[in-house]
Amino acid sequence: MEMVNITINGQKISAPAGITILKAAQQAGIDIPTLCNHPALSPTGACRVCVVEVEGQRTLITACTFPITDGLVIQTESPQVVKARKFILDMLFSERNHFCMYCQMSGDCELQNLGYRYGIDHWVFPTYTKGFPVDATRKYFLMEHNRCVLCGRCERACGTLVANHTLGLRNRGAKSMIHADANLTFGDSSCVSCGTCLQVCPTGALCDKRSAFMGRDEQTQHVKTTCSHCSVGCAMEIVTRGGNVMKILGDWDGAVNGGVLCQHGRFDPLYDERTRITSPLIRQKGKLVPANWDEALQVVAKRLGKADAKSIGVLASSNVTNEALYLLDKLFSKEMKVANVGLLNRAAPRLFEKPQGSLADIEKSDVILVVGADPVKDQPVASFLVKRTVDRGGRLIVVDGEDNGLAPFAYMHLPMADTGKAVEIAGRANNPVILYGTGAPEKTVNALKKLQGKAAFVALEQGTNTRAAVAFGFANGFKPSAVKTLFLLLGEQDGIGVEALEGIGKGAFIVVQASFASPLTEQADVVLPMAIWSERSGSLTNTEGRVQKVSKAVEPEGEAKADWEIISLLAEKMDKKLGASLEELSARATQNIK
Amino acid sequence: MKKAQTMDKKVKDIIKKYYGDKTAMIAILQDVQEEFRYLPKETLSFISKKMDVPLTRIYEIATFYNAFSLKPRGKHTIEVCLGTACHVQGASRLIDRLERDLSISSGDTTKDKMFTLEEVRCLGCCSLAPVIRISGNVHPYLTQDELPKILRNYK
Repeated sequence: MEMVNITINGQKISAPAGITILKAAQQAGIDIPTLCNHPALSPTGACRVCVVEVEGQRTLITACTFPITDGLVIQTESPQVVKARKFILDMLFSERNHFCMYCQMSGDCELQNLGYRYGIDHWVFPTYTKGFPVDATRKYFLMEHNRCVLCGRCERACGTLVANHTLGLRNRGAKSMIHADANLTFGDSSCVSCGTCLQVCPTGALCDKRSAFMGRDEQTQHVKTTCSHCSVGCAMEIVTRGGNVMKILGDWDGAVNGGVLCQHGRFDPLYDERTRITSPLIRQKGKLVPANWDEALQVVAKRLGKADAKSIGVLASSNVTNEALYLLDKLFSKEMKVANVGLLNRAAPRLFEKPQGSLADIEKSDVILVVGADPVKDQPVASFLVKRTVDRGGRLIVVDGEDNGLAPFAYMHLPMADTGKAVEIAGRANNPVILYGTGAPEKTVNALKKLQGKAAFVALEQGTNTRAAVAFGFANGFKPSAVKTLFLLLGEQDGIGVEALEGIGKGAFIVVQASFASPLTEQADVVLPMAIWSERSGSLTNTEGRVQKVSKAVEPEGEAKADWEIISLLAEKMDKKLGASLEELSARATQNIK
Repeated sequence: MKKAQTMDKKVKDIIKKYYGDKTAMIAILQDVQEEFRYLPKETLSFISKKMDVPLTRIYEIATFYNAFSLKPRGKHTIEVCLGTACHVQGASRLIDRLERDLSISSGDTTKDKMFTLEEVRCLGCCSLAPVIRISGNVHPYLTQDELPKILRNYK
């Protein structure tokens, strides 16, 4: 790349031609204040806070939009610039209601910080006396129009990052307002509650109902981890204070998601109302009574030690870490020679031995074929990637039933029987991508194989860690009839009822390792309490086969322990040496997945 | 149902006229406005679907320009000039009288969908102040007593 020489505040800088003044300054460690600009969004130059003086330019120009050329001489804090910024801030503060002491963002607000930086200590212009409405119709967060500075970050995030196009700016001048879907309330709009707008809002206009007034950012801890809702594996940050999870933020450095999360990743885990299991339970005289770990594990170990390997069954949820699956496989399949193992959800058919593409290929493609998968429902962030590509002119072909969530965005919507036609069209494209899921029958899958070498293939797995579970051989078909002792690794999975036990004999001994009380744990003889997503460390494998770390942010509730830790303790009780430290386990588990 | 179909047909023809070009959105909206005298919400969603432009974007354009109206408009638009010259000549009395006679406030449309009353700044003919314009016809040197007679001609 061609480098050019520019001068900022007398400092000589060499930077790639064409990048903006703001980026060049940031690379050189020079701070230019911004408000409407956000690193993840395209610049618009709406707020004018980043104005700088450039020699030879008629007026002050916005640093966030102006590309650098050779020999530019720039002043970022000259008296003229500071005067202009103060004037801009005076106007921003006079518009709407910016009385910081009533706002949950006070202390973290970018507008407030600018006010302090430029000494805005009083209102120069008369302020609005008219109030604007507050829209609290969405479940998780509300829009307080009185605090909005119309920077348009939320609108750009909604349009370019999520490609949902719910938010817009209506009217003009003093009447401008953020609105949703041609002036509907947010609750009635096409909003998918992904919360990306909430995360990019520089002021308190978009306000998280749960974490509001719970503390400033400097009073909290951020823990980087990976979302365990679906198989996409979005990078996220858990924000905690005093051992409580306050909120979840998307990690802008995330390899898969690039900062975007969905409703299931950002909000739903915090609104989980199921009852936690806080101590091991053992069935005595028909009732589950609390016990300590030693007793509970002893009962399980004794039972497993006595049982015939052919009568033992293992069922695992995919919502557990690689380490837990590794240990489960090692303990039961390898050490105890148990052959009857199963997975609680279905896995997508394996097309090839080696991965033939990644989620990043979606955005590079010109034709996307979605076969037997509904990412809108199951892997929302993957659906955002698809919608983004459609916005850029990519053609989407959906081969699935009528109710597929991506159907409204599709160029072509075909029934499963017409897979051949879809394959033919994709074959003519330059960079086709094929996303397939559990809904595709074998015949369809075989038809897709014709595009090998030409197209990128990504399986959209159901569940979280399905890919690792398949690698450890858990998806081989579970036969309930012969089971007399069942080890059920339920984890925190929702939506699995007693039907999972169908076909298992009445007198069977059932061990359930679970986080929440459910009809299934009621049936158990021993319940082992498990830590949830925010309380465990380990790693997860996403649908592309990418192994990503999860980190513990808070202590487990009650006596709950991490999923892998429980199995490790059980193995110890049974006098089997399976490895000790988490690092060691992670390394071995990862080796097996690849 | 039938009405909706003819509405869609008309909008479809308008879009076709501009070859479905997204950059011609303002021209398309202008034509739709001319056809229906306002921009019905259904047509906006229809255009959004047909042209692959997000509804919010179209709504942004439709609300940005004063020329577009999202509310049904009357057959005739009465534009009362409130520019400096007309203001000095008592244009505010004309608007008061019109509001009273039509029993609507400025910016609204009468129940029978005949008239829409609007305030405008300068019509560019200050020598004729106070002036109003009805469906493009300029009525100069007005007093409020002349208004009922003029309106009768448009009914």
